[in-house]
Amino acid sequence: MMDEPKIVAYACTYCSYPGADLAGTSRIRYSPNVNIIRVLCSGRVSPELILRTLREGADGVLVLGCHYGDCHFISGNHRTAKRVAVLQRILEYAGIDPERLRLEWVSASEGERFAKIVDEFTETIRQLEPMERVLA
Amino acid sequence: MTRREPLRKAIEGLLDDVEGILALRRTSGHVAPHLFCDSGELDELAVSPKYPLPGTLRLIQAEHPEAQLAIVCRGCEERGLIEMAKRNQVNLDRVVVIGLACTAEEAEECRCAKPYPSVLVDAHVGERAEPVVDKLADELRQKDVSERFEFWRQQFDRCIKCYGCRNACPQCFCPECTLEEGLWVERGEVPPAYPTFHLIRAMHTVGKCVGCRECELSCPAGIPLTTLYALIRQEVREMFGYEPGADLEEQPPLVLPAEVES
Repeated sequence: MMDEPKIVAYACTYCSYPGADLAGTSRIRYSPNVNIIRVLCSGRVSPELILRTLREGADGVLVLGCHYGDCHFISGNHRTAKRVAVLQRILEYAGIDPERLRLEWVSASEGERFAKIVDEFTETIRQLEPMERVLA
Repeated sequence: MTRREPLRKAIEGLLDDVEGILALRRTSGHVAPHLFCDSGELDELAVSPKYPLPGTLRLIQAEHPEAQLAIVCRGCEERGLIEMAKRNQVNLDRVVVIGLACTAEEAEECRCAKPYPSVLVDAHVGERAEPVVDKLADELRQKDVSERFEFWRQQFDRCIKCYGCRNACPQCFCPECTLEEGLWVERGEVPPAYPTFHLIRAMHTVGKCVGCRECELSCPAGIPLTTLYALIRQEVREMFGYEPGADLEEQPPLVLPAEVES
């Protein structure tokens, strides 16, 4: 039996969540493995949150924020960009595949892009061993 | 103890200008940090083992912000002071720094990449030892992700969650620590769940960790934390060009917005 990957997507409330919403209202089919959690800003997604998500058994974490210059809080996504990049390196050195964590920018008008990112990411995660088995 | 006498000579004259000199003292066989205020006490001056004096300086300055002090600093302690000064934890204007270079043996033991001070002051005592390459770090770089996982899993499974690494760290000065919050680290669970506890700490050392090895020295399980942080430091250097403790002006990368090409 194939394990279905569990994916948690943190989507910012100003760009990416409406983007996901647009994908829904436009009837674009995207991977059902993703669980979207709305956050006020992608800058709110702390490394602690990402690590706990992985530890609780999520196979992949997707952080979605506004494009540069569009952040409602001006530089929230700048911080995320740096943090996620650093955390990916840390995960790599600690023995967790950095591909499990991905950061993407999705604007409110990019429903199709949202669906594409989610589908691609699900396929990437499908190639990896389930996190629960890794941590067991 | 060939460096003890030169160190004593270097700091003796300072006692007239400063209110106290922060260094190590050996009494009844034990070495502990001490604020030397009187030249008579200098008979008990000690050089080693190494102890993170900047952390002690921070506590003294918090109580006595006006005091003029001096501190004996090794290479790592100097880097630590610089990072703490950037975060307003110590006031360098009221401190005279006396540099102490580590011996080759000490550098070897710490796998230290820069075992001497050179930014605030040059070493007053001791000769600059050669930088040491962390062989374990090189070994881990060669491994693939699943081998690294095995390695760290074995190491972290020995953790007894004593918080020694955090308590000993001169850079850990937050009044409230994420590692004590039940939301991120479950209470009463030993060893702490991987990867939260250790990687949260690793993440929080980014841009701060100066590789002083206090975490590793204090760890009763002997987890080679210095190596993990050294690997991360190397990555941060490559990504942002930032070296903790190398310079007083440059701001840590994670507090600044990203540079975006428009």
